[in-house]
Amino acid sequence: MADDHKDILDDEMLIREALSGEIAAFGAIVERYWNMVVALAMSKAADPSEAEDIAQDSFLKAYSHLHNLKDRSRFAGWLAKIAMQECSNTVRRAIRSKAALGGRVTDRDVLDAIPARWSNPGLSGSQIQLIRRMLRQMPAKLRKIIIMRFVAGLSSVQIAEQLGKRPGTVRVWLHRAYNILRKDLAPVIEEIES
Amino acid sequence: MITCEQCRELIEQYIEGVISDTQLDELKAHAETCDACREGFERFNLMQNAIREAFSSETSAAEARETLLGRISEQAVRHVREIGAGQSRVGWGRIAVAASILLVVGLAIGFAVGRADSSKRGVALAAEVPIQVGNLEGTVLVRHAGMDVWDILKPGSVIRLGDKFHSTARSGFALELDDKSTIELNQNSMLVLKSYNGETQFFLEHGECTASLESPHGPFFIDTPNGRVEALGTEFTVTVE
Repeated sequence: MADDHKDILDDEMLIREALSGEIAAFGAIVERYWNMVVALAMSKAADPSEAEDIAQDSFLKAYSHLHNLKDRSRFAGWLAKIAMQECSNTVRRAIRSKAALGGRVTDRDVLDAIPARWSNPGLSGSQIQLIRRMLRQMPAKLRKIIIMRFVAGLSSVQIAEQLGKRPGTVRVWLHRAYNILRKDLAPVIEEIES
Repeated sequence: MITCEQCRELIEQYIEGVISDTQLDELKAHAETCDACREGFERFNLMQNAIREAFSSETSAAEARETLLGRISEQAVRHVREIGAGQSRVGWGRIAVAASILLVVGLAIGFAVGRADSSKRGVALAAEVPIQVGNLEGTVLVRHAGMDVWDILKPGSVIRLGDKFHSTARSGFALELDDKSTIELNQNSMLVLKSYNGETQFFLEHGECTASLESPHGPFFIDTPNGRVEALGTEFTVTVE
């Protein structure tokens, strides 16, 4: 988890090593942000296996464009942007290919109803579906902040730095998103508590 | 002891991830004595765990790292091959003399002597070969025959026939053979353990390797795309551009 500024500094160091040909350094970056990128992809693309494919493609794209990254201290924000772009491309491709074949485009709610492919000891399948659906209904900027904070473990200050926003703005967005989640997910949280 | 209002502020900082360890201790101490504050504190933790779980990946971060490094490595190898093909045409004349000498020697001894006494030529064929990994530095990738995934080579890794090794930049390792001989693979190189007539054959696809052989040794070869190189002494280096 990236819970302090040291990790951000480490990102810069790892990127420098990766650019000098040390691919293991990029491996450390993958390990650090894999969960964040998968969660970002899953929050936009419904199918978990598709989300993992998108995550892999996002990392490969990040690696091949690493030399274009101007501000290395903002790697996580840049990577998140790539992941979101990859999601849009994948969804667009899927719609185009289905339309070309004369098929119907599957609605996201229908895909959400597909149970999780693996068992989660803590949450039931219906709880997972509800959480995913609630998060997907959020505005994109709030969704991104929730994942960067809750999944990647970045602080509001670090998220602001990564996204190039003022810390105050991110703080307000984070609390707004958290209040929405607290309200919408109250039944799930109560079930977990009981 | 802090007040409920102060505790609520600390919970906000906790949610933002900007709370200090001392403040967190104060928050926890207060939450133990106050139901309302405890609920606010625990609710965030439950919410965070639930979100993490609902959006968790089936593939662990460590597995993803190995898969992605393999894919990056394969792309790099393809790139090297594409460049290499162009360069070899230009540089062929320069290496022709060395290659022809090695090829003649290799072919003559490899097929005449080697066939007659093939049992001493290499390591016995088996799914697992009696070769150990030594002097491992940096990131070396290995791919077993028939597999799509590259793994990171570790000191205790089992070596199998058909294994393909790829040493990345600033990395290298040695294959320690059962007769105390070693083959060291330098950086940016690719070596494959091939099977030939029931024996292990070392095929250097590109890069550089150095063989140090125990004396005396039987016929020993390293194959390359340009021809077969035979060890005449106890130490020799093979380079494939």
